[in-house]
Amino acid sequence: MELEIINQTPIKPAAFSINCTKQPLSLSLSLSLSLSLSLESRCYVTLADQKFESHTLAYLTFVSYHRRNMHGRPRKAYKPEEEAASAAKAAKLRGLQSQFMANHHNKIYTKEAVDLSTKLLEINPEAYTAWNYRKLAVEDKLSGIESDPDLVKTILDEELRVVESALKQNFKSYGAWHHRKWVLSKGNSSVGNELRLLDNFQKLDTRNFHAWNYRRFVVELTKRSEQDELEYTDDMIGSDFSNYSAWHNRSVLLSSLLARKADGFLPNKKIPDEYKLVQNAIFTDEDDQSGWFYHLWLLDQTVNVETPLLTSSWPSHSSRISLYAGCSKGSFSKLTTFGSESGSFPLVLYFDQAVGGVSSSTVTIDSELKGNEDLVWEPVSKKNSQVSCVWVARLKYISSEPCFGKEYKVKVRVGNSPGIVSSRGCNFSASYEFVFTAHVHDTVEESSQDGIVSWKDGFDIWDAESKDLNALATLDRSNAQMDSKWRQEAIAEEIDLFRELPDSKIGKLTLARLLMAKAMISDDAVKGVHYNEILELYKDLMALDSSHYQYYKDEHSVALLRKVTSSTEDLSGHLFRCRNMNNSVCLRLNNLSLSRIASVEKLLFVQMLDLSHNELHSTEGLEAMQLLSCLNLSHNRIRSFSSLDSLRHLKQLRVLDVSHNHIGEHSVDTTRYLCSSPLSNSEWPQDEVGSQMPSLVTKYWDAYFVLRDLNLKQLDITGNVIAGDEFSSFVLQVAPKLVWLDGKKLEI
Amino acid sequence: MEELPSITVSQREQFLVENDVFGMYSYFDTSDIATQKFMVEIQRDKQLDYLMNGLRQLGPSFSSLDANRPWVCYWIIHSIALLGESVDDDLENNAIDFLGRCQGSDGGYGGGPGQLPHLATSYAAVNTLVTLGGEKAFSSINREQMACFLRRMKDTNGGFRMHNMGEIDVRACYTAISIASILNIVDDELTRGLGDYILSCQTYEGGIGGEPGSEAHGGYTYCGLATMILINEVDRLNLDSLMNWVVHRQGVEMGFQGRTNKLVDGCYTFWQAAPCVLLQRFFSSQDMAPHGSSSRMSQGTDEDHEEYAHDEDDPEDSDEDDSDEDSDEDSGNGHQVHHTSTYIDRRIQPVFDSLGLQRYVLLCSQVADGGFRDKLRKPRDFYHTCYCLSGLSVAQHAWSKDEDTPPLTRDILGGYANHLEPVHLLHNVVMDRYNEAIEFFHRAA
Repeated sequence: MELEIINQTPIKPAAFSINCTKQPLSLSLSLSLSLSLSLESRCYVTLADQKFESHTLAYLTFVSYHRRNMHGRPRKAYKPEEEAASAAKAAKLRGLQSQFMANHHNKIYTKEAVDLSTKLLEINPEAYTAWNYRKLAVEDKLSGIESDPDLVKTILDEELRVVESALKQNFKSYGAWHHRKWVLSKGNSSVGNELRLLDNFQKLDTRNFHAWNYRRFVVELTKRSEQDELEYTDDMIGSDFSNYSAWHNRSVLLSSLLARKADGFLPNKKIPDEYKLVQNAIFTDEDDQSGWFYHLWLLDQTVNVETPLLTSSWPSHSSRISLYAGCSKGSFSKLTTFGSESGSFPLVLYFDQAVGGVSSSTVTIDSELKGNEDLVWEPVSKKNSQVSCVWVARLKYISSEPCFGKEYKVKVRVGNSPGIVSSRGCNFSASYEFVFTAHVHDTVEESSQDGIVSWKDGFDIWDAESKDLNALATLDRSNAQMDSKWRQEAIAEEIDLFRELPDSKIGKLTLARLLMAKAMISDDAVKGVHYNEILELYKDLMALDSSHYQYYKDEHSVALLRKVTSSTEDLSGHLFRCRNMNNSVCLRLNNLSLSRIASVEKLLFVQMLDLSHNELHSTEGLEAMQLLSCLNLSHNRIRSFSSLDSLRHLKQLRVLDVSHNHIGEHSVDTTRYLCSSPLSNSEWPQDEVGSQMPSLVTKYWDAYFVLRDLNLKQLDITGNVIAGDEFSSFVLQVAPKLVWLDGKKLEI
Repeated sequence: MEELPSITVSQREQFLVENDVFGMYSYFDTSDIATQKFMVEIQRDKQLDYLMNGLRQLGPSFSSLDANRPWVCYWIIHSIALLGESVDDDLENNAIDFLGRCQGSDGGYGGGPGQLPHLATSYAAVNTLVTLGGEKAFSSINREQMACFLRRMKDTNGGFRMHNMGEIDVRACYTAISIASILNIVDDELTRGLGDYILSCQTYEGGIGGEPGSEAHGGYTYCGLATMILINEVDRLNLDSLMNWVVHRQGVEMGFQGRTNKLVDGCYTFWQAAPCVLLQRFFSSQDMAPHGSSSRMSQGTDEDHEEYAHDEDDPEDSDEDDSDEDSDEDSGNGHQVHHTSTYIDRRIQPVFDSLGLQRYVLLCSQVADGGFRDKLRKPRDFYHTCYCLSGLSVAQHAWSKDEDTPPLTRDILGGYANHLEPVHLLHNVVMDRYNEAIEFFHRAA
């Protein structure tokens, strides 16, 4: 898997190729190269105009081209005496091997026996059984002489010597490096020599990851200071700024120094310095990847805060919500009206990173609504993972006591007691409190929501002047605890710099990322401008670099959604009230060629969502939108029901339009590659539907698992290959509450 | 550190490699059609000769692989299977017998008879036996003892040790879980804490390193990702940054590099392309809209397709029948009604340049006398042969949304004559052999 740089024979000066698909290095660099390496300027392609008719000729031509140009060492037949020597060596190794095995199996640890394993390992350091044998032999010897430190040292030193000569034979032997670690862990006093030895090795092969791993091990063992190690990376980068292993180690060291706020390592001072260092490398040669990755890491350090933060919630702080028993027709345009048959409403917490440990002890609720003392918090995540960005609890608002017509204040404290921890192990430390008001209404009239929901009519545009939106959405995360000034400055400086860099893929991509970072941590006012520039950059990249098209396309979608949700003005252009649905809040994001969903943390209040005519292939992300009752995904690129899996978390979802997608075009679901069909397991839950029509369930298992968990009243599936009489009859069984299928009312 | 030198050793080496590769490409581009045709052809006969010879008798220079003998079996036998061939009964029996002697009395396989059981060689042995197929090969594996061996290798930190008192790393985790998954012996004890360990090896670059603190590396990235998929915890990884890292390891030479700022190497054709395809299938991405100036896609009619097959730089222009063969195969499999409107939607646009990658492997890694290698000027070996061929198969099938969709002629550089068997991306064994094995071991449970 590794390159053998050190063993390579010197490369013959090669010619410049003229017809490169890409000029590999800048002109000035090529010049300095041709000077420093005195490459001959010779053209290989002399055969271009000749015609060869037969296959044999083609073969000969190719092979001769190959021999002339591509073999540093021409392949030569072994001379008889060389072959004999090689065979003798192999025979010797076989002899050693079998003697060694006998010693090993008979647990013979005499000096002769151990010396034999030395010989074996010096020829073949890969013989891991021999390394293990030596460990046993050392343990055996040490058990006799524990009290004599000199003797212990002699024994261990001998091990180090064997490892060293084995490493000279093969620098990438896992067994040899591991044995060395094992010896040092025994407490060898010559540990001080290790770094000197490593220095020599690392000069020979600067990218050897075994050596770097070992270096980190020694540093930890000897408690060498991270500052000293940082200086070592200074030297390594100074002598070869393309050495990414050195840059990587620098990032590891700095992460640790910054995290523990070591003397002189405050982020606001240190990170700007690092930007200057890496600029040097990037601007010297922009094709060199090392600097770019380090730059990416720096940007991450500039933007991200380790400790998890609460990004948003529903209901949001100081908002008012209206609650009904059952579904009802009201016209409370100022508020989010919410009705549910179950008499509870979701309380949603959205964190900036996946966290675990959200529970009734880490989140406390102070309210007069009864029966909510021991709330059950559930992570909204796939596959029962216990960490998630989104957590939800259901608050009861109908209890045995009549509580209608009253207003209740609900105070939520997040992180009251420690326990909320990010998946990287950082504690949610800043306790955060928010309050909202819930107005509980009696059921005004009987539910009449059996009518079909149309995405065409009955929508009122949002009054942009009204202040409703502020009450609905927390549009800005409070960055108060983040000392953002230096971050903004550092990013602004980088942006100025990269605008100067001539157009290159990586330059544009970095600029787009910087602008995105700037938008994330700056004030509302300037955001719109940035987003437009970001969108342009991604468009350019899509055209420039078509092999990474989908990646840029996804980033473009993310930027677009960030733009839409960046301000009240932007958002209100997409918001509507649906008259026939209690004036539900409807967000229309149709026709935006979105390939990915983002920014849901700002859309938790949305009840109807129109994503039709986009390029979505999955509903990943929508699971956070716990209020969603109607979803339009028609004319997208959904290919299977498994891609709708995240909708299973949406307990309020009643109306789903997935018409005109690609469901069923291929009978085999792609996820089969990843996990075999759950039905291939004998343990899958046999419920009523499953036992009634096993063949249909087997055929439509992915639809079965999604529809079974949804509570749909209206489903549109036309325009998919899967649609048809058989599938319809299957749907009726799996979704018994369905009233409308493909625009037709079902006879019940 | 004020003054940075104007050119570094890595840059010089990179420059020389680019020079070789582009020299080869321009030679190809300016060659006549017969030469081109020859150059991109998999030299099946030569390849098989090289592999079969290796299986019969390894030269003395291979003595350094003495502790890796099941690996040599796997590299060769898997390569032969990829070429659509099998070994004869004698060789098959020899291989089963030999691996049987590598199997330890209390589970697992060592690098040779009498050697300590080791996870990597156990993986190679199990994959070899799966590839050989059949009752005799399958039942030679002691499943119960293997389960005990895997449990003994499990460390309290969630990861696995390579062997007794051996090192813990992502390779060990992958080989353990791959074995357990094929043999159908995965249980909670094996998976406990494993996801946490792999997660701690993902670096800010996006890829996965060998152990916590290491830089991202193609081989480990494949191992880590496949492990997370096999234990059903893949969504815990940062998949966006993983995708970003892995697709950008394909450089201007069109082959993949193993780590940031390293030279291209043929073996990463598999280690890096497989994660690309796995991730892409995971995201169920299927954007088929035409895009970009150099778009390789057509609008979705068969006419376009026919037309397109002609302007590929593929010299197999004359092979027009092949596209019909595709549809025949489809209806033959009985699960796909082939009609114009859905034709293009069965395919996904790979996130990497698949034809470019195939071009690198065939022109720069293939040795015309048999075998594959890291790059031009390097000698061939069985390891590179195995992973170049595996990667080539992955690249050929990268457009297919699933294992049952055969690639089109234009997906395969060199045409259908170069078609390789599809592999199971998580275990790297040929799909048919995997299916047979899975059925056997499910019955065994």
